Amino acid sequence: MRIFGSNELKEDVLAKGLCIGCGACINLCPYFRSYKGKTASLFPCTVEKGRCFAYCPKVEVDLEALSEQTFGRPYDGNPLGTYRAIKTARAGKAVGAGQFQAGGTVSALMCFALSQGIVDAAVLTGREELLPVPRLARTAEEVLSCAASKYTAAPTLSALNEAIKAGGERLGVVATPCQTLAAALLRQNPMNEENFRDPISLLVGLFCTWSLDYRAFEAYVAGRVDIHKVRKVDIPPPPAEVLEIYTDNGRITVPLDEVRTLTNDTCGYCLDMTAEFSDLSVGVLEGRTDKNTLIIRSKRGEEVASAAEKAGYLVLEEMPTESLEHLRWAAGNKKKRALARIQEAGRLNTAEEAGRAMVRMNADAIAAILG
Amino acid sequence: MEYMAMGNEAFARGALEAGVKVAAGYPGTPSSEIIEQLSRAAKQAGIYVEWSVNEKLALEVAAAASFAELRSLAVMKQNGVNVASDFLLHLATSGTRGGMVLIACEDPGALSSVNEGDARTFAKLVEIPLLEPGDFQEAKDMTKWAFELSEKIRNLVMMRSVTRMSHASGNVRFGPLPSGEAKAEYKYSGGLLDPNTGPVTAGGYRHRFVLEKLKKAVALFEESPFNTYQGPEKPALLLITSSACYLYSREAARILDVEDKVGILKLGTTWPLPPNLLKKHLASTDNILIVEEVMPFMEENVKVLAAEMAAEIGIKNFYGKKSEHIPSVGELNPDVVLSALADILDVGYESVPAEYAKKTGALAYTKAPARALTFCPGCPHRASFWSIHNALELDARKGFVCGDIGCYTMAIGPTGFNTVKSVHSMGSGAGLASGFAKLRQFGMEQPVVAVCGDSTFFHSAIPALVNAVHHKADFTLIVLDNSGTAMTGFQPHPGLTVNAMNDEVPALDIAEICRAMGAKVEVRDPFNLEETQNALNQLLEYKEGAKVLILRQPCALSPQRKAGQKFKMQVDEALCLGETCGCGRLCTRIFRCPGLVWDQEKGISRIDEVICVGCGVCADICPQQAIKREVA
Repeated sequence: MRIFGSNELKEDVLAKGLCIGCGACINLCPYFRSYKGKTASLFPCTVEKGRCFAYCPKVEVDLEALSEQTFGRPYDGNPLGTYRAIKTARAGKAVGAGQFQAGGTVSALMCFALSQGIVDAAVLTGREELLPVPRLARTAEEVLSCAASKYTAAPTLSALNEAIKAGGERLGVVATPCQTLAAALLRQNPMNEENFRDPISLLVGLFCTWSLDYRAFEAYVAGRVDIHKVRKVDIPPPPAEVLEIYTDNGRITVPLDEVRTLTNDTCGYCLDMTAEFSDLSVGVLEGRTDKNTLIIRSKRGEEVASAAEKAGYLVLEEMPTESLEHLRWAAGNKKKRALARIQEAGRLNTAEEAGRAMVRMNADAIAAILG
Repeated sequence: MEYMAMGNEAFARGALEAGVKVAAGYPGTPSSEIIEQLSRAAKQAGIYVEWSVNEKLALEVAAAASFAELRSLAVMKQNGVNVASDFLLHLATSGTRGGMVLIACEDPGALSSVNEGDARTFAKLVEIPLLEPGDFQEAKDMTKWAFELSEKIRNLVMMRSVTRMSHASGNVRFGPLPSGEAKAEYKYSGGLLDPNTGPVTAGGYRHRFVLEKLKKAVALFEESPFNTYQGPEKPALLLITSSACYLYSREAARILDVEDKVGILKLGTTWPLPPNLLKKHLASTDNILIVEEVMPFMEENVKVLAAEMAAEIGIKNFYGKKSEHIPSVGELNPDVVLSALADILDVGYESVPAEYAKKTGALAYTKAPARALTFCPGCPHRASFWSIHNALELDARKGFVCGDIGCYTMAIGPTGFNTVKSVHSMGSGAGLASGFAKLRQFGMEQPVVAVCGDSTFFHSAIPALVNAVHHKADFTLIVLDNSGTAMTGFQPHPGLTVNAMNDEVPALDIAEICRAMGAKVEVRDPFNLEETQNALNQLLEYKEGAKVLILRQPCALSPQRKAGQKFKMQVDEALCLGETCGCGRLCTRIFRCPGLVWDQEKGISRIDEVICVGCGVCADICPQQAIKREVA
């Protein structure tokens, strides 16, 4: 993996408007900070190879190497990534009541992991009015307070970095695909630190097609509701084509096509719809408001899902074939669109003399994606 | 009695010997010591000395005393004359009664300014006499005489000094101080044209009186002992000079050993030039070198006279700034005059052997430590700009700061994290910001911030804030309130409860004034980095109009803080990450308080216990909390 420093990170990612604000570069040092969803570099740093560059999911990501390191198999470009099984899932009776998104599977997994000591603390994303904020949860109550999708990019991994700095060793993380990718890079010790041990014991990924730019979303919403009273945001399944905003005073809906204009441009370069480098990935089950799709990827993921089911935290069922095919098709499309864009920008497998690539993968994978 | 006196002390003494009763000024290097010395003498001498809000006020306060038949003095640096210039023009038109002198101290080379201004042109512009003392004795004697001249012609007289006159010292013989009371009375009931009892007013019709007064002064200049000549009757080169350049010229002629070839005409009365005196000397040679600081003021005036007299004196060869023998930029010194003389007279001279100069130049470049301009250890500005810089970066809308005049001007550079992006004159930061913030309709989304000091606020930022509030310009004015006019030597201003003479006076509250105007006002302690930054980030998002953030913390050199050390600071070596990923030497490379030093050998930061004043701020910037803070 080619690793550079913060100046290259600024050049390749921040200056090009490609930063998604995942937080992977924040709380490693005093130079990168996040404010209202945007990552800023406060001062230039002279360190030539830094963790900020190594963890960033938007530059020099060697998918081939990462796949081998994480799963022991090549990156083949298949739409849903590496997995052992795909099920439908929902929270079981053992999980307390909560404002879940769809089936509540993510909350269930984290509550279970905490209860068993599989994780000591969970890096999650809560909400302060309209703004999503990173949180470190240690109890089921705290986990449940972070439930529900946020739809705007948040620097969640800044809380991961903070927890690691404080000595955290068994951390759970709930992350969007870009955040999951960064966390997966971190787990592989790219800087070859001595005495390194993977601090993440359970990495749960979320499905994602795009996320909204927080500041643009805030400006859009502020004209329609008192943002200080926002409690929840939701996008109900098709054919609704709306976004719902819940406040203390009730609920308003806005057209989804208006909201789509507020998406982060960088999401158009993202190959990953189902968080392919997680232990487990969770998304909505198409057409249902009460169930999730659960992709089981790693051995750890398989163990946790199975144990959670036995303990009554999770209810697992077979994944309907049609839904699975549709998911595969949607994920494949996102991959194809994104790879075409990356290629056009000259950032796929970029030659050393020409600069730094966004992603690296082998020819077979490219062919498989572009079809 | 002879004393070793600074030029500014000599000016003050001259004014006292002339019986000055009122002196007003605004702090400005290199003029400040004149008012400082007079304020110390105020009680004993029974006079009134004032640090006015700005130079316009200083000139007005002094003028009032003159109209009431007292002798008065106004003091300022070159830019101050610009500030006072509107009133100055009208004052010259209306004339004065009690002798009135305006002393303008200039800063050639801009050692302590952001411009190389020459105030002498104002004398020509408003048509009043101009005097320039050439040494320290003259600084005193000419001041005394200037008051007499002013009363003879019934108009104010301008005196010009430069850094090396005001701040250098020499032997000065003091004269007696006058005794006797003075009664101030403003007579106004006479006719409009009566200079002694009529109302004192400007008016276009008065212009010819101004010119008549100037003519009277010129007649006196022809015989003035302050214009001196030394050298041969028919010199190969006539060197015309004034002010501190007189001393440089004498030194240069002596070192080059050309005192038999070069005649030095030192002019003390430089506007208007006495034509007969000039004719006599211009006729004595074909070659004339003019040596003066800043503008070619004398050079051009002499050339005008020479053109007028050409039929009588002949055509001359002029050397000076136009011929590039004397630089037009930067402060002069004896070497400059030496090079000019050597070139004109074709005499070999090398101030430093070329080989040596090359060697020392190279060594200076590699061996001399890089010493950038820096805030003092414990300076509140360092903390303020840390927060301002970071708040703007996090806001991420390309916000910028319009700067102003004071120590905080240095925030253009690394000591203030390159935060300030424009600098002009006193109060112009807020003024520009008021303008920038009205460009929203043309698509400008950048947040606009201005900084000014507490003294600058009173000097000229208030009208700018009024303008912004009234015109709904959404900009944030950050007042860096360090409890004094710090850069110039910690003089008092209207925000404090003492004045120049140490009397107790009412202080004006900056926050209340801004609130009364209708601005949104917040007050914070800049040493509390988090609170300051949060307050600013919130204000930056408020779009409804002008906002003020007052950052209040006394200057590190203020009497309040100088004696004490609040905290004892120490770096925990085990925690310090030094150059590695996670820190990258943030405290010694970016924050750069002089109290923090980099230990190259150990690869960690340390506190320099001699320099550190224990403000405690660095403890809050270390990413490892390796800098420990203990109450002293």
